[in-house]
Amino acid sequence: MLLRKLFRTLLQYKAQFISMIIMIALGVGVFIGFNMEWYSLEKNLEYIYSATGFSDFRIYSEKGFSSKDLAAIRALPGVEDATRYLSVNTTVKDDTDMIALTVNENMNVSGLLLMAGEPYDEKSEDGIWLSDQYAAKNNVRLGDALTLTYKNYSLTGTVKGLIKSSEYLICLPDETQLMPDYTSYGFAYISPAAFQKIIPGIFRALIGDNWYYQINVKSDLTKAAFVKAAEKALGKTLLVLSKEETLSFAEANGEIEEGKTMGSILPVLFLAIAVLTMVTTMHRITASEKTQIGTLKSLGFHDSRILRHYSAYALMIGLMGSVLGIGIGYLLGWFIMNPSGAMATYIDMPTWNLYVPWFGWVVLAGMIAVLTLLGYLSVKKMLKGTAADALRPYTPSKMKHLALEETKAFKALGFGTKWNLRDLLRHKARSLMTLFGIVGCMILLVGGLGMKDTADAFVDVFFDKAINYQNQVNLDTEGVTNGEALSLAEKYSADWCAQTSVQIGDRGFSLEIYGISHDKVRFPDENMCFVSLSDTGAYVCARMAKDMNLRPGDTLTFSPYDSDQQYTVTVAGVLRSMAESVVMTAKYAETVGFDYAINTLYTDADAASIGPNAHILNVQPKQAIMDSFDMFMELMNEMIFLLVIAAVVLGIVVLYNLGVMSYVERYREMATLKVVGFKDRKIGSLLISQNLWLSVLGILIGLPAGAGVLQYLLTALAAEYEMKMAIGPATYLISILLTFLVSLAVGLMVAKKNRRIDMVAALKTEE
Amino acid sequence: MNIVSFQDVSRVYRNGDHEQRALDHVNLRLEKGKFIVVLGPSGAGKSTLLNLLGGLDSPTEGKIVVAGKDISTLSNNELADYRAETVGFVFQSYNLIPTLTVLENVALVKEIAPKALSSHEMLKSVGLADHIHNFPSELSGGEQQRVSIARALAKNPEILLCDEPTGALDSETGVMVLRLLLSMARDMGKTIIIVTHNQNIARMADVVVQVKNGQILACEEQEHPLNVEEVDW
Repeated sequence: MLLRKLFRTLLQYKAQFISMIIMIALGVGVFIGFNMEWYSLEKNLEYIYSATGFSDFRIYSEKGFSSKDLAAIRALPGVEDATRYLSVNTTVKDDTDMIALTVNENMNVSGLLLMAGEPYDEKSEDGIWLSDQYAAKNNVRLGDALTLTYKNYSLTGTVKGLIKSSEYLICLPDETQLMPDYTSYGFAYISPAAFQKIIPGIFRALIGDNWYYQINVKSDLTKAAFVKAAEKALGKTLLVLSKEETLSFAEANGEIEEGKTMGSILPVLFLAIAVLTMVTTMHRITASEKTQIGTLKSLGFHDSRILRHYSAYALMIGLMGSVLGIGIGYLLGWFIMNPSGAMATYIDMPTWNLYVPWFGWVVLAGMIAVLTLLGYLSVKKMLKGTAADALRPYTPSKMKHLALEETKAFKALGFGTKWNLRDLLRHKARSLMTLFGIVGCMILLVGGLGMKDTADAFVDVFFDKAINYQNQVNLDTEGVTNGEALSLAEKYSADWCAQTSVQIGDRGFSLEIYGISHDKVRFPDENMCFVSLSDTGAYVCARMAKDMNLRPGDTLTFSPYDSDQQYTVTVAGVLRSMAESVVMTAKYAETVGFDYAINTLYTDADAASIGPNAHILNVQPKQAIMDSFDMFMELMNEMIFLLVIAAVVLGIVVLYNLGVMSYVERYREMATLKVVGFKDRKIGSLLISQNLWLSVLGILIGLPAGAGVLQYLLTALAAEYEMKMAIGPATYLISILLTFLVSLAVGLMVAKKNRRIDMVAALKTEE
Repeated sequence: MNIVSFQDVSRVYRNGDHEQRALDHVNLRLEKGKFIVVLGPSGAGKSTLLNLLGGLDSPTEGKIVVAGKDISTLSNNELADYRAETVGFVFQSYNLIPTLTVLENVALVKEIAPKALSSHEMLKSVGLADHIHNFPSELSGGEQQRVSIARALAKNPEILLCDEPTGALDSETGVMVLRLLLSMARDMGKTIIIVTHNQNIARMADVVVQVKNGQILACEEQEHPLNVEEVDW
């Protein structure tokens, strides 16, 4: 019989039950979804790292490595396996596309994963194993011929396999590009046999077999231990990058870290609101059921039975919300993690399986237990004392006088204002929950839309304006002198850069030396304003300034790889930069005696008018970089759309639930007002105005809170972009209007109910 | 002069196939300025009569004219205006707003009643001048009922409708409240209509209306109504 009552009561309080289930489902969904995202990413990455033998260390040398060098590295204790490796950007014939052509002696390290076609054959002299993504985007099929050119060499081969590789998990030509764009950039492997075939005999005689400028190593050693051992084995200082310093690992793991942050912040917000709303809702329901609880008790039902009965409501809400939430979580997880979803445009993985982390189930079980406990405690409170005590209807807390009431301002307030104000203070939990919901809604809106403003400003300043050239010309540093490079720069009215890697302590940084005379490259400072570089010092990026605590006037000492020479520079300023870099003018570099080699030109000259020239490796148009942003912004827009939906749902559910509760709690008072002669509209406006006050307060708190959360997210999730938070007036306006609209719409929905107040029935009820 | 006129009024409640006639073809005329008691057992229809008179409910059939106005066909908003201007209600369970002080509970009628009287004066007349800043929960039952009467009177209505106004009070406090109501009729010329099942209250009335099974059994004027003190409580 009690079971029937359970279901009938569920129906009676359906608005509260449904909104609670939605709240829990949203919280669980966001929790499961985001945690599933990073956990699944981690698992799927583990698979490709292991299937392709992702290397732990990469040793670089511009002079190349001999087979003897490789043997020396392989012989090191702690080294599991190693390979000589080469990756160069080649141009596809009759096209501006580029393909990173890879030659690898030992496919157990930094190898490939075959998706279609023939297995890799190390003896094949014409086989090309091409990125399946590039093939799909460019309509290249198995068996098609492809001609790739590098400098004066060209290779024509047949596409024998379509592949993926952990080395190109995030396939970007350089750090200026944010997102892979397989329509114009991909990667391919050829065998050492095919590579040898294209190197002319005379050249081979000159350089021997030292054309591999990279050794990739699998090893459990720490970086410091490995560098020490490798430098000793090869007898020189080496540029070694650990896997943590590679794009494929750092960025992919960055996504995992981002997922972990998102998986903790957003769900906490949603679950906290859900649990807190549950406290007020369960209290409200048990309070209205108090006489029934008393009746059951006086009939002879044991407290434990009654407790079980009413706790079952909370348990059911928890279970139903969780089941629905798991569904939402899977949907959210799938939305981000599927072969054609948001993450797949960034990371090129072979598998996209979804996994829920083990702790997800623990948190879920814990949450259901907490919800049930909340229900239990609410009933326990109503059962206190004798059966006669339990039979008495619930009386809300008595009104107390506030110090505020003595003020003239308070006395001058209208009755409606006083009524609402005292009601808010009397039902503090309900008021706080409503406020919490509105602040949450605002945080999501300001954070989400502000993220877009920030990204827009970032793209505008960092790329649209800072990249003030049409084409980037990459020079062949092996064959070009600075004099030749400068005459090319003059010819194309170009600015230029000499980029190299240096180390400060044991960390590697990019050193960029610029010759700027045509305003082709601009440098944003911390406030996103462009500065002209001074000739009296070097500039560090914001991350370096923060990590190393550097300020203008401080000194910084670095040394190039392959050299023991040290250079000390004075910090002239801090710049925002995507790459962790030190920037200086050519003049300052000469002042400190640093010898540089120009390797890039920046010009407005038309790509077709540049080259062919033996000194030019390739030309990268600005447009290719800008195109990759479209994808980045598309992803961003999807995320923002989700956040805005979540904000609106959160706002509606919380406000509606608490609005209904406020309505129920004030039902009798409203009936009294109606009897006294107040019209429905007047009573409705009293109800709505309370909602609107809380909305104003919530908005006032939510605006800075949203900006604060965004700032935190930018630091926690996107430190590498060195973005400066930018929130436009439109974002504030839209967030405020949307929150107000939600509040007003919900207020109207609730206020409409007062037309149905049955004055006679309401006032008959005993207090 | 008649202030209330019920002309063949019925109120039928339907619940599925079941039909309940709470009032059945009632005809009634009540004069202005009288102290009227409606008597009857539980379920007789006396509260329905009061609710119809107060504009809380509308008749299924018939016509109700109060102070010259037909209230049986008024819209919701017109009924609200009627409640605000013409009638005042006093309930057994007081129905005060717990979050407003005594003074605020009375003063709130100024928002709707065009002829509203001074709240302070009203509270003084019910003997609560010293409690105006208290919340209802800080008052005794009798005091709360007096606030409820002050609120009803503050609208300066023609008729005061009281539904078992002493039902929740002890006899001493009940007497005090009745004395107050009686003085409203005698001194202020208000029409007071009290619904009760307490026979003793009827002995104070100018007019006693007997209701049973949804019909008026009798409507009799008492030539010599007793004073409150003369009634044996």
